[in-house]
Amino acid sequence: MSPTLPSLSRRGVLGLLGAGALTVAGCAPSAGGSGGTKGVSDDGVKDFTFTGWSLNEAATKKPLADIVAGYEKSSGAHVRTVSYPYNDYLNQLLLQVRGGNVTGVAQCDGAWLATLKATGKLTDLGAIAKGAGYTDASLALGQVDGTQYGLPWTSGAIGMVGNQTLFDRAGIKAVPSTVDDFEAMLVSLKTLGNGIVPYAAMTKVDQLKDIIPWMWTFGSPVVDNGKVTVGDDGSVEAVTWYKKLYDRKLIAPALDRFDARALFGQGKVGVYEDAPVGRGAVVAAAKDKSIADHLTPFARPVQAKGDKPVAFAWGGVLVVLQGKGSGAAAKFARSVTADQATSAGYFVRTGNPPTTTRALADPKVTADRFVSDFGKRVTVTARTDPFWAYPQYAQIEQALATQVQAALTGKSTPKQAMADARAAMQKLVDG
Amino acid sequence: MTAAVSRGRGDRLSNGMVGFLLTVPALVLLAAVVCYPLVAGLVTSLFKQSLVLPGRRFVGLDNFADVLSGDFLPALGHTLVFTICTTLLSFLLGFALALALNVGLRGRAVLRGLFLFPWVLPSVVVSFLWLWIFNANYGVLNGLLMRMHLIGEPVAWLGQPGTAMLAVIVAKTWNSFPWMMVMLLAGLQTVPRDLHEVAALDGAGALRRFRSVTLPHLRPMIGMVLLLEMIWNFQHFDTIYVMTGGGPAGATTTFAVSVYDTAFKGFDLGAAGAIGALWMLILSVFVVGYVWLSERRSG
Amino acid sequence: MTAATAAPERTAAREVPRRAARRRGRGARTGALAAVVVIGCFGLLPVYWLVATAFSPTGDVFAFPPHLVPRHVTLAHFDNLLHTPKLLRYLVNSVVVSLVTAALSVVVSAYCAYSFSKFRYRGRRSLMYLVLSSQMFPQALLLITIYLVFSATGLLNSYLALVLSFATFTLPLCIWMLKGFFDTIPDELIEAARVDGAPNRVIIHRIMMPVAAPGLVAAGLFAFIRGWNDFIFALTLAGPDRQTLPPGLVNTYVGEFQTAWPDLMAASLVTSLPVVIAFVVLQRHLVAGLASGAVKG
Repeated sequence: MSPTLPSLSRRGVLGLLGAGALTVAGCAPSAGGSGGTKGVSDDGVKDFTFTGWSLNEAATKKPLADIVAGYEKSSGAHVRTVSYPYNDYLNQLLLQVRGGNVTGVAQCDGAWLATLKATGKLTDLGAIAKGAGYTDASLALGQVDGTQYGLPWTSGAIGMVGNQTLFDRAGIKAVPSTVDDFEAMLVSLKTLGNGIVPYAAMTKVDQLKDIIPWMWTFGSPVVDNGKVTVGDDGSVEAVTWYKKLYDRKLIAPALDRFDARALFGQGKVGVYEDAPVGRGAVVAAAKDKSIADHLTPFARPVQAKGDKPVAFAWGGVLVVLQGKGSGAAAKFARSVTADQATSAGYFVRTGNPPTTTRALADPKVTADRFVSDFGKRVTVTARTDPFWAYPQYAQIEQALATQVQAALTGKSTPKQAMADARAAMQKLVDG
Repeated sequence: MTAAVSRGRGDRLSNGMVGFLLTVPALVLLAAVVCYPLVAGLVTSLFKQSLVLPGRRFVGLDNFADVLSGDFLPALGHTLVFTICTTLLSFLLGFALALALNVGLRGRAVLRGLFLFPWVLPSVVVSFLWLWIFNANYGVLNGLLMRMHLIGEPVAWLGQPGTAMLAVIVAKTWNSFPWMMVMLLAGLQTVPRDLHEVAALDGAGALRRFRSVTLPHLRPMIGMVLLLEMIWNFQHFDTIYVMTGGGPAGATTTFAVSVYDTAFKGFDLGAAGAIGALWMLILSVFVVGYVWLSERRSG
Repeated sequence: MTAATAAPERTAAREVPRRAARRRGRGARTGALAAVVVIGCFGLLPVYWLVATAFSPTGDVFAFPPHLVPRHVTLAHFDNLLHTPKLLRYLVNSVVVSLVTAALSVVVSAYCAYSFSKFRYRGRRSLMYLVLSSQMFPQALLLITIYLVFSATGLLNSYLALVLSFATFTLPLCIWMLKGFFDTIPDELIEAARVDGAPNRVIIHRIMMPVAAPGLVAAGLFAFIRGWNDFIFALTLAGPDRQTLPPGLVNTYVGEFQTAWPDLMAASLVTSLPVVIAFVVLQRHLVAGLASGAVKG
């Protein structure tokens, strides 16, 4: 029986006391997949499975289906597609990967790579990535401990996006550069009335991790050399400020990114945070499709003039799982991410910025005003979420989000909540 | 029934061995899918074990200490509030509707069928429907209440601890009350009509007749539906998981959600086992009490 | 009883309370109507909203305040269903798994319940309590080991995994229901057969089961709907190909970028309808089977 199976018959818990100390040092992030990482090998199998959340979503479903169909035609392979919704994706994929029930290519948020890698079922794609022309920044997105587990598919950031029409109506001349200006702008947006949410910040647990860039803005490193610093002045100040916006109804409760996009599309939101790909969903929810021309990306305001603005880096990679057809799967992954026509074409239809130097220079990409502005103003300020490196990533951010929510809803004070968050997060970081 | 009678009957039917053999398929199945997983799950509570990483390590009662110092007590509270409120509310609504339909309105069969609809919908669909109704930004409930000028601006029902619990209770109640209604209506129809008439002739008012004729007759049925509903609601998962995911700020996290999230989203099987073990401990208090009561009643 | 033996000369005296009773009856009827209307609104308005949303164009449903009566009616979302072949697969999976679960549970439970009801042997009581209380064991906890075992033995993503895991909650329930039902069948039936020299096999299959048929149907319906409803086991054990409707609907209609409400509602409506209709038709059996056990037992 495998060691992970709890067993009835196993008597002598005492014996395990000794054995337990020997068996597992298994909770450190680097201990997983100790069997060594296999590269891909062409086993002659042509057919493979492609698992992803983008196969499921309004903005990306059709373009992606077309890419898959095109690839099937040109390569003669049959691609079986499987999709799960983004919020359940990691959970569902892990259950399948762990059970050894999934092979082929899988889409993976940069945030989850360390977690997936811990299962020991990912293949080393270093050889495949070579010579494909990915930018260094995007290659880094697909690495854990120096090994290339993912081919970068899209690489960008999550940043502030404003509705220029509402800005004009509220008489806002320039986008704010400091937190105080930003707050003043929100107040003037609020005066437009009509149920407008000035800043559709994330307030549901699923995406409350968006508070981290604000903590950076207020001077907290959040995590420093494996020590969680949440609970320091900067983070408490950030939460206190967030709660002030919440109490003054400048941000709305119970909002997640779906809602924010739909509301933005309805012209009911002044500012929200998103990656460029969100534009598709905004336009889909809009009656007036010209809203696409009024999206204004801008850098996150800073605390004091002269500070450097920050944003969350965001990106997706394709990983290849060990097992049948991994060679064919890796070829597909490279074609999707690095073939210029494919990635530039996908960009045009979805707004997902490509990851190779050549595709980024493609006129189709550079011609998009919104995305190129976004790149110049937001992506350049991007920093990687420090918790991505931990397989317990989801739990760590959940612990933080729950406490921020406790502070917002008045169940706890910002100071107490962040102290509680630190305790819970540090424990998870230490494993 | 008395012990003497039951022994007598036992003799008449004899061969207890045959009787036992008849239970074997069910018992084997239950041992495999219920007893073994239960015990194994409880054993896991003594280990540090991850869903993702290989291996496990004995940690004694550490998981229990963690869980107890964490969110166990709030989760117990939420579980009790959710269970008691949904059970009682669906019972009251179901009973009221059953009494009303029992008066003999026209089209009773049609109504009974229509009202069954919420019960037959999968609970996930029910959850989505109410998620949609309670939606803060474009939900129909806010629209209705604002139109009636009961609220000035949209309420984030699922975004505040109190109203989020209320919302999941309403959704689950909507899902269960038809079943209560159908069962109680069936019970009501077995109340002998002449008993009522006699009581009426003796001048008993409607309330009096309800208390002295209807209720005693229905008691076993009421006991059964309440007990079953309690058991189901105590470990209900779907509505809460889909509607709030246990939030906001853990305000609707019940045991079921907590165990699932800890194990399958947090990958911490040991802590999940510990919550499950404590849950069992609390339940066994109820079970022992229930067994004791029913043993006493049956002599 | 008393009414039937009443002397005729008391009839006149009775007229007064009887008229009062009728008046009260009218009052009760009004009260009943009011209760039906109020609870009816709670019970049926959400259903109306489900239907209304399913027929509204996507752009309209994100309007606030919402239009209580759809401005435009569209069949587009139903048309989309036709282009979502996955749904049919989920529906088939749901029906197959629920049917097999129901059949298996009823057969296995019937023997067990019959034994609990009509035999007396050592340990019977303890076994009974164990089975009955197993309804309360935390499913989420059982799920952990079930997942680990199924994953180690390659059972994940199979119908068998779902049927076995559904048995955790359908078996105790069916045994419990059927025991109540068998309790209402008089022992004399068995005794008479015994006197005629019928063996146990015949008594069970030829005599008891036919008498218990309404109970078996009710237990089967109940097991079916419990399986039909399950979310947590199917979500975790079924994988993409064996997924049943509840997790299937979630996986199809909830995305990071949009929750497709009208499509979700249309799919819910269409996939639920066959079962709703079946249950409305069969509800009498369900009620009869459950009620007789509970009321007399």
